[in-house]
Amino acid sequence: MDIASWLISTVSRALAFGVPLLWGTLGEIYAERAGVVNLGVEGMMILGAFTAFAVTQSTGNPGLGLLCAAGIGALAALFHAFLTVTLRANQYVSGLALSMFGLGLAGLLGRGWEGKPLGTPLPSLTIPGLSRIPVLGPMLFQDQTILTYIGIFLAFVLWLLLFRTRWGVAIRSVGESPGTADALGINVTLVRYLCVVFGGLLAGVGGGYLSVAYRPSWTEGMTAGMGWIVIALTIFAAWDPLQAIWGAFFFGALYHLSYRLQAFISPELLKLMPYLFAIVVLALSGFGGRRIRRRAPGALGLPYVRGER
Amino acid sequence: MKRILMAVLAVLALGALGFSAEKIKAGFIYVGPIGDYGWTHAHDVARRIVDEKYDWLETVYVESVPEGEVETYIDQLVRQGCNVIFTTSFGFMDGTLAAAQRYPNVIFAHCSGFKRWDNMATYMADFYQVYYLNGLMAGALTKTGKIGYVGAFPIPEVKRHISAFTIGVREVNPNAEVHVRWIYEWFNPAAAKEAAEALIAEGCDVFAFTEDSPTVVQVAAEKGLPSFGHYSPMYDFAPDYVVSGQLVHWEKIYEDFLVKIHEGVYTTKNLRHVDYWWLLSQGAVEVGAKPGMVINPKYEDVLKNYVIDHPVFGKVSVYDLVFIRLAQMGDPGITFDPFQGPVYDRKGNLRVPEGMWMSYDALITMEWAAAGIVGPWPGEP
Repeated sequence: MDIASWLISTVSRALAFGVPLLWGTLGEIYAERAGVVNLGVEGMMILGAFTAFAVTQSTGNPGLGLLCAAGIGALAALFHAFLTVTLRANQYVSGLALSMFGLGLAGLLGRGWEGKPLGTPLPSLTIPGLSRIPVLGPMLFQDQTILTYIGIFLAFVLWLLLFRTRWGVAIRSVGESPGTADALGINVTLVRYLCVVFGGLLAGVGGGYLSVAYRPSWTEGMTAGMGWIVIALTIFAAWDPLQAIWGAFFFGALYHLSYRLQAFISPELLKLMPYLFAIVVLALSGFGGRRIRRRAPGALGLPYVRGER
Repeated sequence: MKRILMAVLAVLALGALGFSAEKIKAGFIYVGPIGDYGWTHAHDVARRIVDEKYDWLETVYVESVPEGEVETYIDQLVRQGCNVIFTTSFGFMDGTLAAAQRYPNVIFAHCSGFKRWDNMATYMADFYQVYYLNGLMAGALTKTGKIGYVGAFPIPEVKRHISAFTIGVREVNPNAEVHVRWIYEWFNPAAAKEAAEALIAEGCDVFAFTEDSPTVVQVAAEKGLPSFGHYSPMYDFAPDYVVSGQLVHWEKIYEDFLVKIHEGVYTTKNLRHVDYWWLLSQGAVEVGAKPGMVINPKYEDVLKNYVIDHPVFGKVSVYDLVFIRLAQMGDPGITFDPFQGPVYDRKGNLRVPEGMWMSYDALITMEWAAAGIVGPWPGEP
């Protein structure tokens, strides 16, 4: 078994599997940076997956499908924002409800769309020139869709936005201390709404990727728990868009290797690997990882009421 | 006295008419969503076929029922007036048995289990013969000598399928290997995809699987590699690459069972030994990329040109061999079985002696791996 083939397949599959995780995590990072936990990622992703599939199948345009998926994800998130920001409902309960609602609704609407292959999936790209580089070419520049590259680019942009601009300061201060932000004249409600909706938008695209690129087809429950991995990855990435990149792809690599290595290591053990890893990270961040804990937005999960502390 | 006698006679008369006088309301309990395009989907398609065919039959169903809660759902269906109840997952077995004992006037049928009662039958449509036929084709199609197989759980049913498939492969290509990966889920498209990708990375170039989604077919087609569909007709997912596959016709079993209840053959008293184990010859399973298409026409030529020197039939093309074997297993007087001795497992132990066939009990408890299988095999004896 030569090393190059292992490297190529692992990295290439890590990228492909990591894309929906990356998009979802970037979105959740923004929502949580503004102080709103959204456990509805699973629901928003599955709604995005169904919408992208239905629209692409009807129009033949996967781009339009993904755009609509983004819209649906945003709409679902708007619902969460209304409940938690305006009505100040419990964020965890609302998010869980959104996940269940999304799964149920997508399953219901998707009835007639089951078992049909997608005529026009999002094409895989072979980047001219770059794909010819030995090892690196097939590893990074073949068999990926545009969403892989946009996702990575987006992570950099979102990092810049969050840590290098006034907008970023506004978002972070709303998440750290909404009272102070409010006193400084930042519209807490607006910032939270925008971040949550933006998070839903990205989750919708992540779900859409599954049904128009990764699979490409629609089946009920096809997100199969990815939304929950996103929640863990958000903590793992310490609410930092750049760390989300390697977090998502590292998880993708683990996932792929858990099948690749079955010939050598007991499959039961391998199956646990990605989840074991998530638990280890969470445990570490609880123990010595003060740095991580310190990075958690101070007002995460708390509704903001002006005048209350 | 006379009045009592009349009453007794009336009751006896009603009893003699039994079920046949009544309409049948059949309830189906599914473990997954009817849209899984696999196991549950196939049962539901069958339910609709029999429902439309007979006007004395009404059907209802509940889907995605957790295995531990089957009794609650049975209670519900009984309250709704169901007098026949089908439970379609192995994990429903004990709950169904308990319910059968509580509701002696309701007929139960449990799919894929082995426990029966006076009013509880069992049924199963098994694919092992079909997998063997697919294996013949796969053995002829592989160029690398490595065939990939994605399995759901390492349980006897799936192991039987993989071994039958491998025996087919080796019959036409004695050096080929079947590489196996397990995903430990009946339905997880992402897992199936990565398992298939891992097999491709290892050089496999033909694919078969036992799990409940069309993922493996799609992944293989993306890379231009042939595959075999499972459970539902998957031809449409990749018309150029789905060679053949396994198709189920649960309606054959449902129809037979329900008609016999309607005619009074089966009652709440005589099901203790009613066990449907239906295969090719009863039409409960079919080999094909879609109904009526045994072999995708795109692969006819290559299979006709792949000629082997067969110990029984001499010079024969794999294409012809498939139809010879299909006829041997499809006719009511079956003259061939994939596990016809001598069969060796991959450790070299003789599992089926020369001239013997495997018993039903041996088939449904089978744990060993046929020679030619490569990869992890949890629980291997």
